[in-house]
Amino acid sequence: MAQTVKVDPFTQEIVKDSLIAIGDEMFIALAKTSMSPIIYEVLDYASGLLDSKGQLLTQGNGVTGFIGMLTFMVKQTLEKFGEGDLKPGDIIIINDSYGGGGSHLSDVGLVMPIFHEGEIVAFSANKAHWTEVGGKDPGSFSNDATDIFQEGMQFPCVKLYDEGTINQALVDIIKANVRFPDLSLGDLWAQVAALKTGEKRVKELCDKHGKETILNSIDYLLNHGEALAKIGLRKLPQGVFESEGFIDDDGFGNGPFKIKVKVTITEEKFIADFRGSHPQVPGPVNCSYTALVSAVRTIFLALTNPSQDANEGVFRPLEVITDKGSILSAERPAPVSIYFESMQAGADLIWKSLAPLVPERLTAGHLLSVCSVVLSGNHQDTNEPFLIVEPSVGGWGAGEGQDGARGQFCIGDGETYNVPIEVAETRYGIMVDEYSLRNDGAGAGKYIGGSGVIRSYRAMSDNQSISVTFGRNKFAPWGSNGGKDGSANEFIVEKANGEKDGPYGIYARYPLNKGDVVKLITATGGGYGNPFERSPEMVLNDVKNGYISLEQASEDFGVEIDKDSFEILQINRK
Amino acid sequence: MRVATDIGGTFTDLVYVNEDGEIGVAKSHTTPPNFEKGVIDVVEKSGVDYSDIKTFIHGTTVIINTLTERKGVKTGLITTKGFRDVLEIARGNRPDLFNLMYQKPQPFVERFLRQEVEERLNYKGEVVTPLREEDVTTIIQYFKKEKVAAIAVSFMHAYINPIHEEKVVRMVKELWPEVAITASHEVTKEWREYERTNTTVLNSYVKPIAASYVNRLNNKLEEKKTYSQNYIMQSNGGTTTFENAKVTPINMVESGPVAGIYGAAVLGELIGEKNIIAFDIGGTTAKCSLINNGEVKVSTDYYIERDERKAGYPIKVPVVDIVEIGNGGGSIAWIDDARSLKVGPQSAGALPGPVAYGQGGINPTTTDANLVIGRLSPDNFDYSVDMESVKAAIRDKIANPFELSVEDAALGIIRIANSNMLNALKLISIRKGHNPRDFTLVAFGGGGSMHAPALAKELGVRKVIVPVASSVFSAWGMLMTDLRHDYIQTFIRRLNSIDLREMNAVWEKVEMDAYTQFKGEGIDESNVLFSRFADIRYLGQEHTVKVPVPSGDWTAGTIEEVINSFEDLHEQHFTFKLEGTATEVVNIHLTAFGKVFKPELKKIDQRGLSLEEAMIHIRKVYFEDHGWMDTKVYERNKLGTDAVIEGPAIIEEPSASTVIYPKQVLTIDVYGNLVIDTGVQ
Repeated sequence: MAQTVKVDPFTQEIVKDSLIAIGDEMFIALAKTSMSPIIYEVLDYASGLLDSKGQLLTQGNGVTGFIGMLTFMVKQTLEKFGEGDLKPGDIIIINDSYGGGGSHLSDVGLVMPIFHEGEIVAFSANKAHWTEVGGKDPGSFSNDATDIFQEGMQFPCVKLYDEGTINQALVDIIKANVRFPDLSLGDLWAQVAALKTGEKRVKELCDKHGKETILNSIDYLLNHGEALAKIGLRKLPQGVFESEGFIDDDGFGNGPFKIKVKVTITEEKFIADFRGSHPQVPGPVNCSYTALVSAVRTIFLALTNPSQDANEGVFRPLEVITDKGSILSAERPAPVSIYFESMQAGADLIWKSLAPLVPERLTAGHLLSVCSVVLSGNHQDTNEPFLIVEPSVGGWGAGEGQDGARGQFCIGDGETYNVPIEVAETRYGIMVDEYSLRNDGAGAGKYIGGSGVIRSYRAMSDNQSISVTFGRNKFAPWGSNGGKDGSANEFIVEKANGEKDGPYGIYARYPLNKGDVVKLITATGGGYGNPFERSPEMVLNDVKNGYISLEQASEDFGVEIDKDSFEILQINRK
Repeated sequence: MRVATDIGGTFTDLVYVNEDGEIGVAKSHTTPPNFEKGVIDVVEKSGVDYSDIKTFIHGTTVIINTLTERKGVKTGLITTKGFRDVLEIARGNRPDLFNLMYQKPQPFVERFLRQEVEERLNYKGEVVTPLREEDVTTIIQYFKKEKVAAIAVSFMHAYINPIHEEKVVRMVKELWPEVAITASHEVTKEWREYERTNTTVLNSYVKPIAASYVNRLNNKLEEKKTYSQNYIMQSNGGTTTFENAKVTPINMVESGPVAGIYGAAVLGELIGEKNIIAFDIGGTTAKCSLINNGEVKVSTDYYIERDERKAGYPIKVPVVDIVEIGNGGGSIAWIDDARSLKVGPQSAGALPGPVAYGQGGINPTTTDANLVIGRLSPDNFDYSVDMESVKAAIRDKIANPFELSVEDAALGIIRIANSNMLNALKLISIRKGHNPRDFTLVAFGGGGSMHAPALAKELGVRKVIVPVASSVFSAWGMLMTDLRHDYIQTFIRRLNSIDLREMNAVWEKVEMDAYTQFKGEGIDESNVLFSRFADIRYLGQEHTVKVPVPSGDWTAGTIEEVINSFEDLHEQHFTFKLEGTATEVVNIHLTAFGKVFKPELKKIDQRGLSLEEAMIHIRKVYFEDHGWMDTKVYERNKLGTDAVIEGPAIIEEPSASTVIYPKQVLTIDVYGNLVIDTGVQ
């Protein structure tokens, strides 16, 4: 009676799901044990599994910015050591900014080969933003570095563990070269633990299903990803789309720098050609090719199939072309600390050129900048040093059928959390005077751009220093399909003595003393559609809620409203 | 007599236990929007005499429904100057990473009803700016004009010093006594302003609805001349009085589901199992929770409407830790764009339901697959099942696209569903550093017993228990509850430099608060039991580990003991510890139980009918690795404690079916629970 059920498509599906679950587990383990807010609140890290050739199988992401980087890390590892020099228990550390999965030195990657029956079957890898990797400024990534050597320690793809034995010399060197060794090493141990978890789980999976089934399932997973991507690709407008834009400046007042892209979409390919963009620049706003690829991958996913789990197969149709040594493909020893501004500017070009054509997937322009803030000083009560390293929320663009999001992190971030005020005031030497919507009325449209946010930090001790990197300070987020542009990212300083300074976009080490207030103001997103098409009831509601003023309701939206009774008096849309 | 009633989506369940320890069960339809009618219906149906009811315990979905259907009242927020937008900015996160059209959760209070007053405390709880009372008066006038029905008050750092919130509450009660009001410190004393404010707002939003519901139920019971002590099930696995439930109704948000988890813990205590994985499969979801050493894990990391693509809304009240996935009996099997088989999270629900119901369902579900491979019997349904249309649905939608036989396609659906559920079970066990071999799986809900034996084997669990009343197990759990309150206070101190006098004073204060609250609920001090926990982390970390800590006065030795326990738990959960690194307390957590009398459960008759007599028939059932096998099917209530059944076998009871795999062995314990040896060594 009994008969055997043959190998079927479901086993592959189950193994595939198990691989994804392993990726999730590694991801969560890291956040739970990390020492740095930039990891556990901003989730500025990624972890995943790759096959024996370095093809991405599954990646847990907190932010979009790392999508694709793990692949380059593993490929560099394979290139340097070959399969022969990799042993069970090895862990490789790498933060090369130009080659192996490069972003900036703060993002430290670890790679671990996973063996089954004496052969490498997979790699587990992660990459996380350490609060400190040394360099010339606290927080390491510096908006006025002039070469890579000022930006921190470089880990050039070396063994941190050799067959399970820690390289203590390397650990001691790290300890001696970073400002908060407890934080940096705490993150290192958290990363190591997460990799080992991945190794253990993959081995269990191999023991259970056998190597052949696992390898089959990996092919299945990658092919499945590719098939889904191509289905998405076929739904896009086919053709060639070009656009140009600017990167504000490089931290030294140079700029703006012109960048351009030519996107070619066919049923089989998606080619982003950035040739002709500005050459690499003296300041740290350059990004490397691998970082640019991550940004393009993000837009590619947004366009083709935002709901899928990304793997290498998904990206098979994608090609990214650049000149050598451009601001979007910088080479050693160009500084790259604030690379995220350029990589996102690259993505924004594609976004802008396709937004009017794919309104169901792309909104109008958004704050774009990570709007990073690095604030250091000593706590007023304990006199212990503190260091804030954080991105800022701002406004997103409106889209077909929806207003822009108010107060949300930029495209390069993602499952990123702001630091609660009550936590910040306990831990850092500041008080927050205000955390509110900007409501400047920018981004008018049938659907309105999401408001930016004002966040005011009052220094509670002397000799604090703040470095602000707010891109999109000179070029506001763009409106789409007749919607108006948004407003710029900027900050101003209101000193205790009543003096005011600003506005600025990028500024290194602005000194703050007790009672000085720095007002961080982020962009309001672009609008979508003609403002005269916004329903008068929605305009009325906007006024009541203070998102727009009475005057603006009348001028931009043609709706006259009584200031006391909040009734619509007249609609004038000629 | 103790009577528990549990309102579910389709049915209102009742379980009672009388003075002799005998259990009775009844089911009746849920009657929205007048849910109290369903409660009275089920009591009548059970034949219980109202005057016999000494204790009445109630679980309800009214709070969660009010929230998800947005049926609460117009709510206004009073908050600190500069922070009215905290509720709208929220945490700024975008979990749906590659979706650029992501929409944030809309706040429950629109901006024009979020009003600011001048006042400010610093992080130590010291007043930096005094409360400007004129602001409060103005806002009250404005809210009256706007016809607000409930007010929430949430100020910066109120978790450490509620002075300004208390003042505002007094003012509102004086100037506008009829409006509902909640201050943040009344619902949570944890830091993080967005989470606390949202919790406060949601409590106010549901407060008038909850009050009217509880009052209607109470009136109904009084009409029927019931002179019982009345309690409501809370999300923390314990009960509270009707009066208390009206004050902080947000504590009832998971009123029903947690009772089953708690019930599994009580059952474990009764039969000597301390380590349990509670597993509940319903129509649309499967839920699981891990009980370690008899302790049901409670945390305040609870959200509604949150999934991997949506940020959801945080509610910082103690809720039993449950992992829930979109896989139940009604989950639909489908093939994605790139030809992968998926099961759920879409569900056929109660209407049209699975194809088997014959109510118009055309998409194959887990239930339909279980029918095709013989694990469910078409005769054990309320509906008359047309097997041909069930098979046709699986053939057309799944088998043909994969070029498989109908039974292989059906088995595929079960395997994918099991794989999804297995991942959830791993998440709470292996991935938290627990070895499943040390745990017993308690399976309940309509589908729990059908899938549990296979899952247990896969997970490496040795024993599965299918309790008596498994399809109404949440109500059974309620029957066994005590009163419970959790007191969580943010209290940030480094352990190595802690001021012991201050620490002991804080513990003493929360214990006094607990005694006072229980006294108000008629519970004597001698029946109050405490468990203490502390949320601890390494200095610099954000996430904490909940550590059980000693009662009584703490000494230097206690601190050392606490640090050691923390490090052991950290290592268990995360594989490493950082000895020598400073540790920090973030919250203290007191769990207080008000113990009530419960009758001892009665044991069942030793001998049942012979196995032949208990057998319904032999039918063919399809198993992984074996194909079709002749399988004996037994009627559960005819089996006695002397029964020993080897798999393959199926045990049927009304609305549930237990599948015993080849090489698994079933026995029956003295309370009538099915006990399955899974064959795992």
